[in-house]
Amino acid sequence: MSDDRRGSKGGDGDGVFRRDVLKASGAAAVALGLGGGGYASSLAETATEPASRQNPGIESYVGQDEVIRTACAPNCRGKCPLEAHVRDGRVRKIEPQIPADERYKRACTLGLSHTQRIYNATRLKYPMKRVGWEPGSPNPEGRGEDAEFERVTWDEALDYIAGEMERVRDDYGPESVYFETGSGNNGVSGTIQSRLSSLFGGTQKSWSIDINVGLGFRRLAGAGFFNVPTNEVVDWRNANTVIVWGSDIFASNLQQDASKLLDAVENGAKLVCVDPVFTNTAAKADLWLPIKPGKDTLLTLSMIKTVLDDGTYDTEFLRKRTLGPALVRDDTGELLDASDVFDDVTEDLPVAVDESTGEPVALEPETYGEYALFGEYTVAGVACHTALSLLEEHVADYDADAVAAEVGINADNIRTAVRWLATRGPGGIASGYGVDRYKYGHTFGQAYAILLGLTGDFGRHGSIQGSHPLGGSYDNGGYDAPEDGPGTTSLAQTDILTAMESGDPYQLKVMYSQESNFIANQMPDRQRWLEASKSLDLIAVADMHHTPSVQHADIILPASHWFEREDVVDTWGGHPHIMYRQPAHDPLWESKSDHWMLVRLAERLGFGDYFNRDKSATLRELLAHDDEVDYETLKEQGTVKVSTPVVKFTGPFNTPSGRLELYDEDAPTEGGITLELPKHIESRTADDWDTAEDYPLMFIQKHSKWRIHSQYEYQNWLREINNEPQLDINPKDAAARGIEDGDYVRVHNDRGEMVVKAKVNDGMQPGLVNTDQGWWGSDYVRGHHNDLTHTDVCEVTGNFAFYDTRVEVEPAPSDVDTSKYTSNQPTGSGATSAGAGGD
Amino acid sequence: MTNYGLVIDQERCIGCHACAVTCKQENNVGLGQYWNRVLTEGGDKMDTPAGTYPENGEDGTLEMSYQPTACQHCENAPCVKVCPVNATYTREDGIVEIDYDKCIGCRYCMAACPYNARVFNWDEPQTVPEDGTGDVPARPQGVVEKCTFCSHRVEEGLDPACVVNCPADARIFGDLDNEESTVSKYIKKYQTTRLLEDRGTDPKTYYIRGEMSPGRPQTSDKMESELDDVSVWSEPKDNGPVEESGGSGGGGSHSSLSNDALPHVPAFEGGDD
Repeated sequence: MSDDRRGSKGGDGDGVFRRDVLKASGAAAVALGLGGGGYASSLAETATEPASRQNPGIESYVGQDEVIRTACAPNCRGKCPLEAHVRDGRVRKIEPQIPADERYKRACTLGLSHTQRIYNATRLKYPMKRVGWEPGSPNPEGRGEDAEFERVTWDEALDYIAGEMERVRDDYGPESVYFETGSGNNGVSGTIQSRLSSLFGGTQKSWSIDINVGLGFRRLAGAGFFNVPTNEVVDWRNANTVIVWGSDIFASNLQQDASKLLDAVENGAKLVCVDPVFTNTAAKADLWLPIKPGKDTLLTLSMIKTVLDDGTYDTEFLRKRTLGPALVRDDTGELLDASDVFDDVTEDLPVAVDESTGEPVALEPETYGEYALFGEYTVAGVACHTALSLLEEHVADYDADAVAAEVGINADNIRTAVRWLATRGPGGIASGYGVDRYKYGHTFGQAYAILLGLTGDFGRHGSIQGSHPLGGSYDNGGYDAPEDGPGTTSLAQTDILTAMESGDPYQLKVMYSQESNFIANQMPDRQRWLEASKSLDLIAVADMHHTPSVQHADIILPASHWFEREDVVDTWGGHPHIMYRQPAHDPLWESKSDHWMLVRLAERLGFGDYFNRDKSATLRELLAHDDEVDYETLKEQGTVKVSTPVVKFTGPFNTPSGRLELYDEDAPTEGGITLELPKHIESRTADDWDTAEDYPLMFIQKHSKWRIHSQYEYQNWLREINNEPQLDINPKDAAARGIEDGDYVRVHNDRGEMVVKAKVNDGMQPGLVNTDQGWWGSDYVRGHHNDLTHTDVCEVTGNFAFYDTRVEVEPAPSDVDTSKYTSNQPTGSGATSAGAGGD
Repeated sequence: MTNYGLVIDQERCIGCHACAVTCKQENNVGLGQYWNRVLTEGGDKMDTPAGTYPENGEDGTLEMSYQPTACQHCENAPCVKVCPVNATYTREDGIVEIDYDKCIGCRYCMAACPYNARVFNWDEPQTVPEDGTGDVPARPQGVVEKCTFCSHRVEEGLDPACVVNCPADARIFGDLDNEESTVSKYIKKYQTTRLLEDRGTDPKTYYIRGEMSPGRPQTSDKMESELDDVSVWSEPKDNGPVEESGGSGGGGSHSSLSNDALPHVPAFEGGDD
């Protein structure tokens, strides 16, 4: 079967699959003899009309489909409510479902293609065990591309897993069992797994991905983790300036957001795009700022200076809602404390000077006063500057003209962009995840929170602080962490790696992974993860598809497609609905829902009383605690709109002062540098980085419109258009290396390599190359994009810095075998058959 | 008389290919075949711009946009003229369609079509899943096929699949002979072009370039003519300040920035809080 995986697509793989889908499903597929009878009969009916007006008609099944309400949710944050059209027991097409709030009727190219995902050649059919794996004798060297699998029963598979979990619990403690949930679903399976982990006392991960900018922002504004909460996207049309920063909304976040951003532009908003790549979004912008990688904080500092120099800051907002007027002690760098100034104040409050009286006053949240924004004052014998004065001094050297060359942007354009933001009324910065993926991206979160504080773009219609509307969630009553269990231990993904690798902080021995393709495809420095995972005695992977991580498993658990399972889906980070999935048909082959698997695993581990085999009952229980959503209504309507604030950041900020903390007195340090105010710190993007000569090109892995992470890799309709991984490279960089468009190239650094086709692209910045992320190992001629990335993270957030990667590019060796893409395959070479189906 | 046409707002089109893929799904189009393609206007390859990258703070010259391209349903369709067996014909509602029973596979129509909109089934069409998708049967080997404006849907009062499923609201379908239709209004209001107008084909697909339109958000899969209310959005049920005031137009130009001047600031829509 490993041959099948590597083999070129062609008819064989598909043929096997097709016969199998018909055979194994036992459904009404045989009834689909789609002959020409329809044409003939309709012809007869119209034969008397004039030839030029004849309308023989197209035979149509419109109206014959049963329409099933379901939902997409592969962690794109679109979370589009969908309809599956079912005829003769098979899903025939997908269309958007109209949710309770019809403005969120959307679906993208990927969501619309689920018909091919359900009946995909890579679907897993049966539980499998790796040949050579036995309990207590894991033979980890046998994992990987050459691993072979044999079919087992569900009872056998679950017995193996439960047996190993109990064994390692006795030997290493319950926390040695790692319950991994990726981002590939958003139904209740994560909640169910968390409940089991909590009862067992296992380990689950906390994220080390895409939390950089959000955590930097959070230090000042009290909110932010994955990106930053922002006004619901239907409110974006009230924005007059939108700066899309490090985000290709029109390609990678288009589902719900593209139309709303277009509506803002149509309504007169100025669209600015900050991106080193001329993206789909840059192409639509009124102004594109082609920033050099890693210079985002520097650019922001220059924008802050422009606003201060212009005097276009929002005085009222600064006085009422920020620490701008707060006094900072010259001696300690801490905020002057009101309890040190006023005898009658015991609270921990900052102090400002009232300009009208010259007297100090305690700064309460959400309270306006004629506070001095700038100046130096001695209060209670303590010499102080206002926070804004310190900021002004801090940015003194960052005039747009001074930074223009380093950031790569014309100074006038820098000023124009920020002047639009400061003077055109409501607007903001729609940051994406691009900047997160540089090592010190959190300083950008801090910096642009300050900029938005200066322009007052918080808490009003048209304000934009990021790309994360909160979306809809429901109260599950603590289902995922029952009180009478030992509880789950949480480890950052960086610690998961070292725990496997060296037992730091403790040894992991078993991994049960669901809806996750992390370990063999999506983690930086992939080879390090694969090597580290050899310490695991059991890797059990539940998935719909034969992913690279499934190929790396010991026990394979075939999961049903979303549309084959009843489920409740929240809309985290997206639109304000809870959605219901009605099954379109039974799970194909022996696939089961994750709920089915986890409940039976729980029963084997002695926790059966905590779960209900009846998933409907589980869903009912999960929703029983929520005030707004109940199971019956949700099932009947398909979606229920839940109340989340349209406008975010109203009221006191979730900070110690209740204000936006422009000056962060409790700032963390980064390499000994304290961050009371944001500083431009760089890692590999610095020109003088010590490997810059050997690896002169920065390498990013953009999120494209063809994937949600590594999902949809196997869709024929997508692979026909987007056939193979490519390296976007500027013509200058290509020419300097003797590379022509379409050549295969070797991209390499001191960790690894990949061989891909060069796509000479004038939209790429010279010195920067890109391969879209989400391709699987089997898609590469050689290597993998995550064999090039690294696990070096910053101190403050520990966030993986995928884009902070240096490489060199050269023509591929002449002996490289590119036949999988160069042989004649007119229908595209994508979506090779997985072959783990036991056939 | 009804005369169907399509308006595509290229200012709204984001090149996502949803129209191309949903077309294949709805119309059961075989692997390797396209009735509807999204072409990149810019560089030679998909998603690449024309021009040079702006280095060292220069302004650069990069430009890129997308042109979704399918059968243009020409008023004066060359494919209809050349078909030796009248397999290609123009319906009373203006849709150019093929009678697959009559088609002899001579492909004169493919040579005549200046838009490269037609494909030929050299082999028995293959689909994934094998038993097909969408709401029409597959066409046999040996015939030419192309976009039908989803006539099977239109006959049931439904918009074409590419229109319903455009996530950018960039595609508007309707009756060109009805002055009140959105397509007619937009053709009048916005600057539109048609492809290869000098060929005299009189195509019924119009492309908006220049000022962006509001598109036509699809809150139903029904054709506009089937709806009582065709306002862009119905009133939000709660907690939103968004009210329709017609929009003030303006932004969306692709032109590069030429000055520092602050442009017209549009009126704020909605509540004052």
